[in-house]
Amino acid sequence: MQPSDPEDRHAVIKAYLARLGAELADCDAALRHDALIDAEVHLRAAVQAGASPQRAIDDFGSPEEVARAFREVDGTPFGTPRRSPTTTGPVPGTEAAPSTTAQTATSHTAGAASADASGPARPRGFAALPIVGVWARPTAWGALLYFGIVGFALAMAYFVWSITIGSIAFGLLPTLLGLPLFVALLGSARALCLFEGRVVESLLGVRMPRRTQPMEVANDIGFWQRIWCWLRDTRSWLSLAYLIGNFPVSVAAFAATVTLVAFGTSLLITPVVSLLGYPMMTFEIGNAPLSMAAGIAVLTATLWFVTALGWVYGHVVQAIQVARPEPIRRHKTPPFNPTPSLQPNEGTVHAAHH
Amino acid sequence: MERDLSVGTAWLVVLAVIAKSDEPIHGYEIGRRLSDEAPTGLSFKQGTLYPMLRAMESEGLVRSSLTPSTEGPARKCYVLTADGRRVLAAWVNTWRCASRWLNRIIGGSHATE
Repeated sequence: MQPSDPEDRHAVIKAYLARLGAELADCDAALRHDALIDAEVHLRAAVQAGASPQRAIDDFGSPEEVARAFREVDGTPFGTPRRSPTTTGPVPGTEAAPSTTAQTATSHTAGAASADASGPARPRGFAALPIVGVWARPTAWGALLYFGIVGFALAMAYFVWSITIGSIAFGLLPTLLGLPLFVALLGSARALCLFEGRVVESLLGVRMPRRTQPMEVANDIGFWQRIWCWLRDTRSWLSLAYLIGNFPVSVAAFAATVTLVAFGTSLLITPVVSLLGYPMMTFEIGNAPLSMAAGIAVLTATLWFVTALGWVYGHVVQAIQVARPEPIRRHKTPPFNPTPSLQPNEGTVHAAHH
Repeated sequence: MERDLSVGTAWLVVLAVIAKSDEPIHGYEIGRRLSDEAPTGLSFKQGTLYPMLRAMESEGLVRSSLTPSTEGPARKCYVLTADGRRVLAAWVNTWRCASRWLNRIIGGSHATE
């Protein structure tokens, strides 16, 4: 027997999504988010088209199969496949087969992909060296660019926008004009945070989700209910908090980065400038090797500092973007009791309750 | 016993389905068409389609856009890019050559094609 009530069907899909989320628990949060959104949209489309939830799930694949496919094909930080056939062509049997009937995929392949799915690829060559390898890592230079220029400028722009529009909105609240302005501010905060995510992904190397979260039956709700949904959505408030709170943090990060870079550079170039005949304060030419070594050490420490800060920053932005909204309901419905429709012998999903 | 398609074959059929569609096509519809066309003994799990589509997008073979749906959340619809069409044409050619060669080797009704 298949659940006929929309709430029952919803519960079956939610249980499947819980199992898929558990399968991808050790993966990057953005990858997990994308996989869950894809699965949810697909299963809802199948059910809307007339399939039973269990049939839709059977056609979609077990959580293990789907998780394995995501790890294998979509396991790298930016969604680039570990192996794509664009260079080899579609000759059958030339590669492993993660994309269809994935239960037969080899376990060692999935294991290797798992490491990729949980974080950026390991550095190689000079970049793999313990301390100085940071000089060859693109994420370190991206972080330096972000905290030294881009992030500071963007944070200032976000802050000015949020404070200006927010102040006007609060000031206009007695005239009721403030409310739509405030809603517009929340909408812009969500959009700006998505943009920030793209900047962070390209410069700091932390993957961002490719999709925003679906809002159930959102097409059936009215304008005011949609506004109410926006106001209730955690991501709206997190985005606004980020735009405002990011400013003082960015100022501090900018000041620290610029100071460290200037200090390290000055130590590095002082001997050269001194040799060129320019007078330098408290510098003796005999200290040149020490000064240059100290400069390199400070700049190396700076690259590590911005790399670590970039990792934290990137994951804060990622956490905001993978926040899930509360489901929208047109009608108040009684709490769903999953017991009758989730019996194991009816072929429905039940493992998520564990 | 179920058999696997290779990565390349799966990419080929997905690109072909997108190419055949007159308008941007979403993941569910691609999966449905592939399942409908799948021969006996060869299953296609639709959930494995999505990471493939993302990878194709990363490679520049397809382009996606969100399309509002009257049946639920907005759907991500895909169209082939110029690169995608070029790669598909090359793969189709490769596939036909490989198929003719295979048929000649193993024999069969299409051996002389």
